Amino acid sequence: MSEPVLQVDDLSVHYEVRGGGFLGRGRQQLKAVQNISFELRAGETLGVVGETGCGKSSLGRAVLQLVRPAGGRVVWQGRDLCSLSNKELKPVRKDLQVVFQDPLSSLNPRMTIGEIIGEPLRIHEPELSTGQREEKVAAMMERVGLLPELSRRYPNEFSGGQCQRVSIARAMILQPRVIVCDEPVSALDVSIQAQICNLLRALQRDTGIAMIFITHDLSVVRYMAQRIMVMYLGRLMELSSSESFFASPLHPYSRALLNAVPEPDPDRPISSYGEPLGGEVPSPMAPPSGCVFRTRCQHATPICVSTVPILEQHADAHEVACHHWQRLADTGENQ
Amino acid sequence: MTALLDCEQLQVRFRTEDGEVCAVNDLNLQIEQGECLGIVGESGSGKSQSVLAMLGLLAGNGMATGSVRYRGREILNLPRTELDQLRGDRLAMVFQDALSGLTPTMRIGEQLTESLARHRGLSRAQAKAKVLEILEIVKIPAPETRYNAYPFELSGGMRQRVMIAMAMLCQPELLICDEPTTALDVTVQAQILRLLDGLKRHTGTAIILITHDLGVVAGLCDKVLIMYAGRAVETGSTRDIFNNPRHPYTAGLLRSVPSLRGDISADLHTIPGQPPNLEVLPAGCAFAPRCEQAIAACQLSAPAMLPLGGGHAAACHRIDAT
Repeated sequence: MSEPVLQVDDLSVHYEVRGGGFLGRGRQQLKAVQNISFELRAGETLGVVGETGCGKSSLGRAVLQLVRPAGGRVVWQGRDLCSLSNKELKPVRKDLQVVFQDPLSSLNPRMTIGEIIGEPLRIHEPELSTGQREEKVAAMMERVGLLPELSRRYPNEFSGGQCQRVSIARAMILQPRVIVCDEPVSALDVSIQAQICNLLRALQRDTGIAMIFITHDLSVVRYMAQRIMVMYLGRLMELSSSESFFASPLHPYSRALLNAVPEPDPDRPISSYGEPLGGEVPSPMAPPSGCVFRTRCQHATPICVSTVPILEQHADAHEVACHHWQRLADTGENQ
Repeated sequence: MTALLDCEQLQVRFRTEDGEVCAVNDLNLQIEQGECLGIVGESGSGKSQSVLAMLGLLAGNGMATGSVRYRGREILNLPRTELDQLRGDRLAMVFQDALSGLTPTMRIGEQLTESLARHRGLSRAQAKAKVLEILEIVKIPAPETRYNAYPFELSGGMRQRVMIAMAMLCQPELLICDEPTTALDVTVQAQILRLLDGLKRHTGTAIILITHDLGVVAGLCDKVLIMYAGRAVETGSTRDIFNNPRHPYTAGLLRSVPSLRGDISADLHTIPGQPPNLEVLPAGCAFAPRCEQAIAACQLSAPAMLPLGGGHAAACHRIDAT
């Protein structure tokens, strides 16, 4: 097992939200991420999965300090990023990059593709001459499957898939050590999604970059990640090697998620799927006490109401936060 | 026997600043009572515009030609007053974005009773009873409370249930769903798919399901139509399409979808290149520039749909040869 490049301890993200009270002037606290710990190892992809509002994007942003966490630590090369000022963070940002979901809106429409990809170089390696920079940009464009002669075009002339290649080129040009990809293929057509997944896998193979891959799509994450983290309402439910997770998911929520994925198999009609999970995700403004999943869990008992489950070790690389995981695994009830 | 809906040589064009764009070309499809047809395609394939044209819902700069017959009666380009008798009654539609399909300032109950009053002439009390019944069927918890709620008070999944309830109120013979679950989380999607499956089984309503998600199609549809750049490229039973795809685009699409069971050690299969720009479609087969099997003939003429038996058909010049 390779060494951790990034260590996240007890990370929490809170937002102040307007609303409630007279004329909505009150302020409430939304706890988007609560007490999450994990490590990211060199060369691996950690897949973070969960539904809308589970805090997966906030987690990714907090790791990069794009939102400042309310508590916890993000240790990078012996330093806690949470304690650094924005100025002190600048050199660190060179090593920690991000790719967002919406490819077109994350590119400046008034800059050419070449300028967009070269901008990080202009900021972080100002000693490079224009010629040197253009050379690097051209090489990077080629690497992500864009013709270098397109460098003088503007983003609006590009398709969604091409724009996502531009975003990836911009993120990779400084040769970062960690990249956070937040739903990078969710807005793309099926045939293009596969191209971008393959590109990210190839870049990781070539550079050994560590990746946090945030998605709601379990089929995609299975293909992309070696380890899987499942989140629900800001909390970590299960953290496991991908192999162990897909072979034997332990948390009732993980099981429900996997059961709900429609498989492209005509011999598996919807009617043959297990009973879908009832209800919907409660409001993150007022999460349930104890285990946040208990309101939708058919195995919930009084302890789930009173006590937040801690992450327990099942196997070497498989942890789960559920009061009943052992019993459910033993009795096979959690099928 | 006349099909419930029979669409022949449907063509949809849009006038734009840069001239005319053809969004749907020579589309033929039939759907029988109780059937579920999936229309699959990527952005710009014409899958949504074709059904909007059938229901007379094209944007102002759009024109449709060809023929769309509902129970043998021509309905394409009918005057609005005549279409309104059918729409919302015999033919209903559910859109992807449930919030914009609901009037924000009207209570759920008012919006739902409207179509009953219009198409069925029910009294207020009768309409309310019927609405509560249908809210129950689409599994909305506490229907009495939701009846008096405004759309913004409901979650995304709940709104989509309301949209389906609204579409089902007059027991339509055909329900058209345009990406009904795309905006929803996977566990809520599973609930909605379960609901649509139940409606199909218990009411005999025919469903046209427009989606880009091959998993949804496999789980719900009896037959499938695959579209590319405004044209049908393959159609057939769901089994034929998934187990024996004949068009290179269909085959490529199926292979490029990651699944929960597929091999993850190798790269995903990809279809090279980008979907075409409808304003500058290549001559010949629109898929040819991305097709590994393309030959000279593919650049010259658009292939016609070739029947392959059992309702399976594909439009590819290479089918005879391979």
